[in-house]
Amino acid sequence: MAITLYDFELSGNCYKLRLLMSALKLRYDIVPVDFYPGRQHKADWFLRMNPFGQLPVLKDDDLILSDSGAILAYLARKYDEASLWFPDDPAVTAEILRWHSVADDITATSSAARLALGYGYDFDIAKTQKGAHRIFRLMDEHLWFGEREGRDWLCSPAHPTTADIACFPYVMLSEEGGVGREDYPALRRWTDRVRRIPGFVVMSGIFPAGRAL
Amino acid sequence: MSSIDPVTRDLWQVIAATDEITVGVVEATLLLDTRIALTRDSDGSPVVWLRRDEEQGDEIDPASVLDRLPAITGYGYIWTSLGNPPKELFPIPEYAESDRVNMSCGSIGIHVSAPRAVENFLDMGHFPYVHTDILGAEPHTEVKEYDVEVSEERDEVLATKCKFFQPRAALSAIDGMEVEYVYRVPHPFCAVLYKSSPEAPERRDVIAIFLQPMTEERCRAHLLQSMIDSTSTITDLRRFQQTIFGQDKPILENQFPKRLPLDPRSETPIRADKSAIAYRRWLSQKGITYGVIPVAS
Amino acid sequence: MTLSLTDPTWYPIASSDDLPFRHVYQGQLLGRELAVWRADDGNVNVWENRCLHRGVRLSIGVNEGGELKCQYHGWRYANRSAGCTYIPAHPADAPARRIQNRTYPVREAYGLIWSAANDDQVFQPFPGAEGNDWFPLRPMPVNAAPEDVLAALASLAPDDQPADLLPGLTLHFGDTYYFVQPVDAGRSVIRGLLSAQPDSATLRHCNETLSKLRDRVERAAAKKPAPEPLNPAFEKVSAELSTMPEIAVPRGNTLTVVVKRKWTSADGVIGFELAPRDGHLPTFQPGAHIDLHLPNGLIRQYSITNGPGDLMSYIIGVKQESASKGGSKVLVESVREGDLLSISEPRNNFPLRRDATRTVLIAGGIGITPLLSMARFLDKSSLNYELHYFTRAGDVAFRSELEALNGKVIFHTGLPREQIGSTIASALGEWSLAQHVYVCGPSAMLETVRATAASQGWPEASIHFEYFKNDKVIDNSSAFEVELARSAMTLQIPSGKTILEVMRDNGLTVPSSCEQGACGTCLTTVMEGEVDHQDVYLNDSEKRSNTCMMTCVSRAKSARLVLDI
Repeated sequence: MAITLYDFELSGNCYKLRLLMSALKLRYDIVPVDFYPGRQHKADWFLRMNPFGQLPVLKDDDLILSDSGAILAYLARKYDEASLWFPDDPAVTAEILRWHSVADDITATSSAARLALGYGYDFDIAKTQKGAHRIFRLMDEHLWFGEREGRDWLCSPAHPTTADIACFPYVMLSEEGGVGREDYPALRRWTDRVRRIPGFVVMSGIFPAGRAL
Repeated sequence: MSSIDPVTRDLWQVIAATDEITVGVVEATLLLDTRIALTRDSDGSPVVWLRRDEEQGDEIDPASVLDRLPAITGYGYIWTSLGNPPKELFPIPEYAESDRVNMSCGSIGIHVSAPRAVENFLDMGHFPYVHTDILGAEPHTEVKEYDVEVSEERDEVLATKCKFFQPRAALSAIDGMEVEYVYRVPHPFCAVLYKSSPEAPERRDVIAIFLQPMTEERCRAHLLQSMIDSTSTITDLRRFQQTIFGQDKPILENQFPKRLPLDPRSETPIRADKSAIAYRRWLSQKGITYGVIPVAS
Repeated sequence: MTLSLTDPTWYPIASSDDLPFRHVYQGQLLGRELAVWRADDGNVNVWENRCLHRGVRLSIGVNEGGELKCQYHGWRYANRSAGCTYIPAHPADAPARRIQNRTYPVREAYGLIWSAANDDQVFQPFPGAEGNDWFPLRPMPVNAAPEDVLAALASLAPDDQPADLLPGLTLHFGDTYYFVQPVDAGRSVIRGLLSAQPDSATLRHCNETLSKLRDRVERAAAKKPAPEPLNPAFEKVSAELSTMPEIAVPRGNTLTVVVKRKWTSADGVIGFELAPRDGHLPTFQPGAHIDLHLPNGLIRQYSITNGPGDLMSYIIGVKQESASKGGSKVLVESVREGDLLSISEPRNNFPLRRDATRTVLIAGGIGITPLLSMARFLDKSSLNYELHYFTRAGDVAFRSELEALNGKVIFHTGLPREQIGSTIASALGEWSLAQHVYVCGPSAMLETVRATAASQGWPEASIHFEYFKNDKVIDNSSAFEVELARSAMTLQIPSGKTILEVMRDNGLTVPSSCEQGACGTCLTTVMEGEVDHQDVYLNDSEKRSNTCMMTCVSRAKSARLVLDI
């Protein structure tokens, strides 16, 4: 097996895969893609791999995959021998896919606000910020009740799943889009827990958590 | 709206990387709370004016723009001024050396004043905590004594003999080593650093940060690398620099107040902050008030 | 109602459950951002959310259990006092004690964390607070003015049971209290307290009710002009901190402490727990000591054994030496639990670097005291260290405290003299970059460690000693002139005589104690001239600053000194 990640360091979506592969102790190669300012994700060679022109792309031998959520599911199903990150159970699968879809909404809001403020993208900043707050409120509520019920993670298993990885980066990077998290204490505690997952790695813009007691 | 002090008004201000501006297409930006439009004309030279109803991405005949702001190209970037700028930009002589790889590394918006970003660029003490395992790593946290002067002749702040232990000082570095830096602040919102090149130890890599003050509390950082590196690709080198800058961003955006306080009693300097202190005094003496909190008179 | 920055009312700012260990909570009250964290001892800290160094939010820092670490430059601030204990850019220096973050009053009660903008009011429970098993509802942030939120809450009350409006943006109906936390002019948090533990259906129901209320209030608020946010000012740091480099801080005032506990820790070692009469004691750094003013007028130095952020009492160990000339002896024999003693603020001549890849701590006998504190700091930060503790046969002082550490603690009990040397040699090993050794114990042991370390390649800068005595040979050959600025006197100091002696000869009463440059009692501010420091009391940066001196041993390099006496 030879895994290659077409990667941009400052992309939270690429980071999701780096994070899971680190937790799974997978070896992989990185091909840096100059997303900004070079816009290489719109270059012909890249569009041949992913006509949607989006990062990340992952190659596993001859298989070419795109979409971070789909690749998370693929990597977990294929390489997680303990079947913890993306369990087989139909109900849990549905739960995880539900949160993968929330993760895409976080990308469309929190990440879009970050691209607008930091990288000159022409998005409606107020609208994307408002959208991010709406999602964070719901996540905070979900996580607060989870803590009462003894659930530390987004989904019901007693361990993190790809849902946590999919939602984490653009929650953690939200301040770059002008979306503070001080109103979401349960969400902030969850980001501490994610940062303490064994094998956790940082990306540029995210700091590690200190040790747990 | 904030008032722009005369010194700031007369400076050259960076607004875009030259090769990111398409001939005849409008780029819109903000400089000193002022809406600016720019493009390049058919010979590639920059055309900059006060933006009216033009939108980002509009096509325009540059010749139709009559009321222009001063514009100049330097170090791969377009510079303009809202006042009467000097004839030339500050010098970075190394940029012209033929065997160097010169590149822009993107323009990144940050929610902090330009002087705060300059001060962070001059700072070594944060390397182990912010650029962990790249520019620094615990336990090597000590900032040794270094020299700082304000050169009257060149009107710039200069810090020399700055040494720091780095696990991976540059893309081409493999092992940790003590790296020597020289920092220059030749412009209130621009700073240049020189560090020994791992590939050619007798020469120095040059990294510069040019800050575009958009408002008093927001800026865009434009990065320049001028490297002695015959093996890395531009994509690799950009990635390295963006990684570093992306690590500074959350720190800068969590700094309060967002404008740089010039009153010495606003914060708590230590010996390692000599260059920052010199920079703050220099700004005070120049009479810069934009993006700073001046000392109450 | 207009919010006031100086409103002294206590408001809830978090639920107790919002503060798990090793987490930093971000809060806000009356426009001021707060970094809130629970130390491992359970204490809750409410601080201004801003590192004094460069203004970075402390809520992005790391809660290390006893200290909070700033994310920008790794500065550490102590639990309770918010005093800075370590500046990694200058690992060999002890930071000025007065670098201290702004703190706010705090009280944990009824499942909530309460704070106030200032200390003007004493915390008082809300009416009916006592006697119930309170449960805090999920906090509900609302983007609306506090008084509008309060009005909306009042409208929740059933018609036949109108809400009972209480001071401090509080109301009550049924079995629930609602507190509105005034975050800012246009932002609030609703904090509800149920008088009994609810089932999960009740919790969900309350949350739903408050969510709907929030949506309603926010819709109304969006139609009104947004109120101007409060604009709290950041306080200036003291003038002495704004200059660079740090200047020596002459000895502060003495504090009165109560002997809370006195016990025999081991044969010949008595432990004393010294507690403040109220509040907490000042920040100290590992390796620091206090001066203890004894009932017979003598002043003696004792190391603090505490760990990071442990400021509710200082614990010292005192050896009852047969040869003691009334110092330790008085303490051991005549001071009892409940007695009041005067101590100085902590000083540190034995600072611990936290930038070592390996730290070796070597203690002999009562020399364990500063090293116990160091080990506790290193332990909390999970830094690599080994503690070697040499004792004579018999019991070991502070054994249970040492056994509670996670690091490598090795007891060497009753070793014959010749074996001590070889044990030290193997404990040290060969030196490599960023290794440091700290030793405290009898002079013979210090000499053995120094000689062994040197022979095994340890550079001088990596070997750290604590002196309780000044063993240096004092060079008193110089002659110079001293001007006493406040006394308007000029004295000639001949060779062979100390400044202190000449001042006494001229009828001045000046405090002194050890008269060998070790205790710090005769510390004097220097206004002009260059000092020839010969003491072991001032640390190197204080000596370099040339702003103070010990008149009992130190002299002048210049022809003339001007002292602030």
